[in-house]
Amino acid sequence: MEFPLLVLRNLTRHPLRSLLTVGSLAIALFLFCTLRSVITTLEAGLAAASAQRMVVQSTVSLFVGLPPTYQARIEQVPGVESTCKWQWFGALYNDVPFSQFAVDSERLPALFEKEMELAQGSYDAWERNVIGCVVGEGLANQFRWGIGDRIPLIGVFFPHPDGADVAWEFEVEAIYRPLVRNFSGHGMFFHWDYFDRTLKAGGTPPRVGAYYLKLEPTADPASVSAAVDELFAAGPQRVQTAPEAQFQAQFVSMFGNIPFFLTAIGGGVLAAILLACVNTMLLTARDQTRDLGVLKALGFGDGRAFGLLIAQALTLCGLGGALGVGLALLAQDGIAAALGGSFPGFAVAPRTVRLGLGIAVALGLVSGAFPAWRAGRLRVVDALGARE
Amino acid sequence: MTEPMIRVRNLTKAYRRGGETLTVLDRLDLDMERGQFYALMGPSGSGKTTLLNVVGALDRPDSGEVFVGGADLMALSGSELSRWRADTIGFVFQGFNLISVLTAYQNVRLPLLLTPLSRQRRREQAMHALELVGLADRAKHRPGQLSGGQEQRVAIARAIATDPDLILADEPTGDLDREAADQVLELLGRLSRELQKTVLMVTHDPLAAERSDRIVHIDKGRLGGLEEPAVAHGAQA
Repeated sequence: MEFPLLVLRNLTRHPLRSLLTVGSLAIALFLFCTLRSVITTLEAGLAAASAQRMVVQSTVSLFVGLPPTYQARIEQVPGVESTCKWQWFGALYNDVPFSQFAVDSERLPALFEKEMELAQGSYDAWERNVIGCVVGEGLANQFRWGIGDRIPLIGVFFPHPDGADVAWEFEVEAIYRPLVRNFSGHGMFFHWDYFDRTLKAGGTPPRVGAYYLKLEPTADPASVSAAVDELFAAGPQRVQTAPEAQFQAQFVSMFGNIPFFLTAIGGGVLAAILLACVNTMLLTARDQTRDLGVLKALGFGDGRAFGLLIAQALTLCGLGGALGVGLALLAQDGIAAALGGSFPGFAVAPRTVRLGLGIAVALGLVSGAFPAWRAGRLRVVDALGARE
Repeated sequence: MTEPMIRVRNLTKAYRRGGETLTVLDRLDLDMERGQFYALMGPSGSGKTTLLNVVGALDRPDSGEVFVGGADLMALSGSELSRWRADTIGFVFQGFNLISVLTAYQNVRLPLLLTPLSRQRRREQAMHALELVGLADRAKHRPGQLSGGQEQRVAIARAIATDPDLILADEPTGDLDREAADQVLELLGRLSRELQKTVLMVTHDPLAAERSDRIVHIDKGRLGGLEEPAVAHGAQA
């Protein structure tokens, strides 16, 4: 009874010191969990990719387009159920970038039937309106868009043929809701035909960034991939066909060493907080030297003295860790909204929670080990200062 | 003849300070009877507290024999000595040494945690000890809310909570005014007279020593004499 009480009372002996240490730990663990979640979110996006979807792109680069005539030939390949043009647009709305794609509007719903559903509007209305578009719920909330709103976008990679400062006009006909966490709710899809016609009018007919393939349920992805690649082996533009996960992995690799830097920053923060915790525990042990001597004089063994210090370190770090992880969980929706479409499905994964709490316990053990070891070895007469 | 409570033979203890060896206990021989109240006197550095620490198993001698309550302390390991202390000894320190973050009651109950007693029995025993020192009504007070004399009485309650055979007190009245010191000395005397505890008290104060049954003089780590208080201070028999 007194032992746990003693642990708690000792921690409130210097409330400000304990409070600052717990606060520092909470911030460190919050940062660690949040940074770690960016990495796990990227990984989760790859894991959630459908095995029934493949992407055809140029062997040179994603930025080298393919002829529109390829689509009909790809659809002849056995195992391919349907195709959909996929062209990243990269325009700005009031100078704010977000993801827009020119697609075959009539094919998009079937392609992502398990990933998105309409929350407002209809695909029919979108089909009828050449400048119509479908936007994600997150994007609509971000810009306060509703059905019927006109959206002017300034093309950066595809300027309007009438002038670089002339906006491409779109009209919201539907708002979709992601059905899975890693499908971005901050995207916008519009008609390939609108994109195609507008650019053709300016004399520069567009090419297709990539083709999304939906495979038949019994199709063998490797065979389809080989067949499509073989089809265009002689040109004019060679292609590579890959599963959706591999296609998305390209974007993750575009982040370069960011995952490494995030891990390094998180690790650095934890290393710094470890030193702070060791310092706190050394001060705590010093303050309690006489009490430890008294306990030993009363008959409490070295192990109990060791345990008292370790228990205090674990309590301090456990509390800070739990607070930090809790904060990360509480803040995840807000952070996901702030990150927008950059990291669709941003969330603190259960394994990150476990890792964070495990690190907090490890910090407690490591920071308490040396002071506790010293407490265990402390001679009673030295602790009491009782020697003549 | 009954076995003495404390029996030390050829006890030697030296400290090294700045390259010099300082012999604090020098081949000391001493017997102390059960149920007696002893005052240990001597000049500073004479080895009083070191002897108390060795007898209380807080410190180990360099050589010699130490038997307390029949136990050969030199033959016990560190963990066995801890256990033995919990069973046999009650300590009272000059600076009280109460745990400041616990209440008087919680301080007194601390040594009882090492006993196999039930929770209820521990509570009863701790409260009984506080009643014996007249502080049951201060059970929920923390040390900082008590006077020096009250703190020392709580420390005595803690020392007797487990009903040990031997009470070791190191300058228990050193930080107290005369009135509080009298109360503490009266308590220690009662423990010896009424509860048959052996009390060994280190003191510089002749008036405090006068309250004991025997005065042991230590000088330069050796026994300087063993006297009764009236003889030592020339009082009326």
